[in-house]
Amino acid sequence: MSIMQYNGSAIVAMAGKDCVAIAADKRLGQRALTVDTDFQKVFPITDRTYVGLPGLATDVKTLYDRFRMRVNLYKHREERTIEPKTFSHLVSHMLYERRFGPYFVEPIIAGLDKNDKPYICGMDLIGCLDFAKDFIVGGTASDNLYGMCESLWEPDLGPNDLFETISQALLAAVDRDALSGWGAVVHIITPEGVITRDIKGRMD
Amino acid sequence: MDAQFAIAGRDFVISVTDKGVMSSILKMKKNQDKTCQLSSHTFMSVSGEPGDTSNFSEYIQGNVKLYSVRNSQDLSPSETANFIRGELADALRSRSPSHVNLLVAGYDKGAGEAALYWIDYLSAMAKVPFASHGYCGYFLYAVMDREYTPDITLDGAKALVKKCFEVLKTRFVIDFADYTIKVVDRDGTRELRQDEL
Amino acid sequence: MARRYDSRTTIFSPEGRLYQVEYAMEAISHAGTVIGVLSKDGIVLAAERQATSNLLEQSLDNEKIYEMNDNVVAGVAGHAADANTLINQSRAIAQRYLLKYDSPMPVEQLVRRLCDMKQGYTQYGGLRPFGVSFLCAGWDSTFGFQLYQSDPAGNYSSWKAACIGENYSNAQSILKQEYKDEEKEEAGPNVRTVGSQMTMDDALKLTCQVLSKTIDTAKLSSKKLEFATITLKAGKPFIHVYTSTEIDEVLKKYESVIKPADSQ
Repeated sequence: MSIMQYNGSAIVAMAGKDCVAIAADKRLGQRALTVDTDFQKVFPITDRTYVGLPGLATDVKTLYDRFRMRVNLYKHREERTIEPKTFSHLVSHMLYERRFGPYFVEPIIAGLDKNDKPYICGMDLIGCLDFAKDFIVGGTASDNLYGMCESLWEPDLGPNDLFETISQALLAAVDRDALSGWGAVVHIITPEGVITRDIKGRMD
Repeated sequence: MDAQFAIAGRDFVISVTDKGVMSSILKMKKNQDKTCQLSSHTFMSVSGEPGDTSNFSEYIQGNVKLYSVRNSQDLSPSETANFIRGELADALRSRSPSHVNLLVAGYDKGAGEAALYWIDYLSAMAKVPFASHGYCGYFLYAVMDREYTPDITLDGAKALVKKCFEVLKTRFVIDFADYTIKVVDRDGTRELRQDEL
Repeated sequence: MARRYDSRTTIFSPEGRLYQVEYAMEAISHAGTVIGVLSKDGIVLAAERQATSNLLEQSLDNEKIYEMNDNVVAGVAGHAADANTLINQSRAIAQRYLLKYDSPMPVEQLVRRLCDMKQGYTQYGGLRPFGVSFLCAGWDSTFGFQLYQSDPAGNYSSWKAACIGENYSNAQSILKQEYKDEEKEEAGPNVRTVGSQMTMDDALKLTCQVLSKTIDTAKLSSKKLEFATITLKAGKPFIHVYTSTEIDEVLKKYESVIKPADSQ
């Protein structure tokens, strides 16, 4: 079993019409043993950019702390908040710095840029960027998520429809994955603000 | 092969750690205190590679105390746990990683809340209501899942600890002779004997 | 006499003085004034920008007031370039603390680290002291709102109202006169009494009053001033750096206390 499967996770981001969504499960395990059922895997970077970190739990925390430090320094120095595209290149560089001893995390970034245009992207554990117009998936349930997203996603979904789509895709995907689940958290990012909802699934 | 678990209520944490030291098939010692007091209201229990446990916990204890002396102020449980995690994570990717599993228990005087942090040797950290490390987790999580409620009292938690002992006694191959039982709450940290449960 | 002990900072003069450090402080007493006033629900910082020319591009909004961390804002008097490196260092220190403890750095600790850097340059050979003083306004959960002043020697002290830069002694005496102190009350545990009866409005008003009497100009305007406040918003520190229109509004609101200075 790969170290990427040690703690278990499922994260998905989707683009809608003038909005984006990012959702993650809440489980933290050690292989098949569940340790925590309320583990944070998606983090706010700015008011309208979120990052999801599927992979090894130790690196989830380490990387988020380091992102926060870099983004705060950027904010104070530049006197403006970072754009999602700029942030994803920052993440990519921070991962590639560890090319031969990587962080075992495949980050997913979702946000709205300064023109309220949806932006989603993913990358592998050494920072190879993957831009998408529809959806990005990651974690131990990523195969299942691909299937769900391929069949449920459609272009130009509004915030409510997008919430419904991403929630159903994630819940269905984690139900067939033993290493992720225990409910989920969904963030819908709109120009007016972020709506965060906790959803219950099969709690086992 | 250590037994290590803890239960947190709203305003207390009770932690249990076995006192045995084993090497291969030998019992070397049965009165080793595997907990480490970090400040008046924070302590941690440590298991893992024998040399690493004492080395790492002494390093942490020294630094947490140094902070208190330098700044005339104790670190809160959450600050302590984050500091420990950071040091362990840095060690993990250095030439001398420490193989230690930790439970950090504390009472935050500012917030008026108890806190329990689970940290494994890879330095994954989670704030949890109850926790365990090692083989005994496979037995004890089931008991704690069934019996735990968020509004559990100290007496309730003591009863739950007793049930955990029962399970370990009946189903686990290893016989842990004795345990360090510690409670932290508003009044600080105190140790309990088994017959005080 | 002084010459012989001037060339290096590491040498005490026979009178026990460090000339280079004193010169650095002298440089600051010619710099633009910075005023800080503590109130019970926040702190006001105001700074004077010196020597503005019409030809100068106003690309930078702030050259005297900087955010050091999400809970600390600082006003600078002295060499701007020296200040920049210290501010960059302080920001990095504050972020490293956040990384290490996952909690914002207490204000006094940050000020102390900043002053340690300054102190180093008064002791190690061949270097010149930093020619800057800071007024740091901050908030932390243990001690609430705090206002610190620091000098090139590396000393720092906590104040209810303070002033650095040109005419600081003048300003200091007005602040002393006008500041409404608290009647003695028992302090709760862990809470240092800010010892203030001032509201934010009072603090802004007092700041304007002092500015009008210390700044050598016919009329106060946003062109020569910078303003910032730190308050609490939903239990979290909130730093607001005023735009030039907002500064003009403040000046207009407290016109009554500013006018007498003009007619002097």
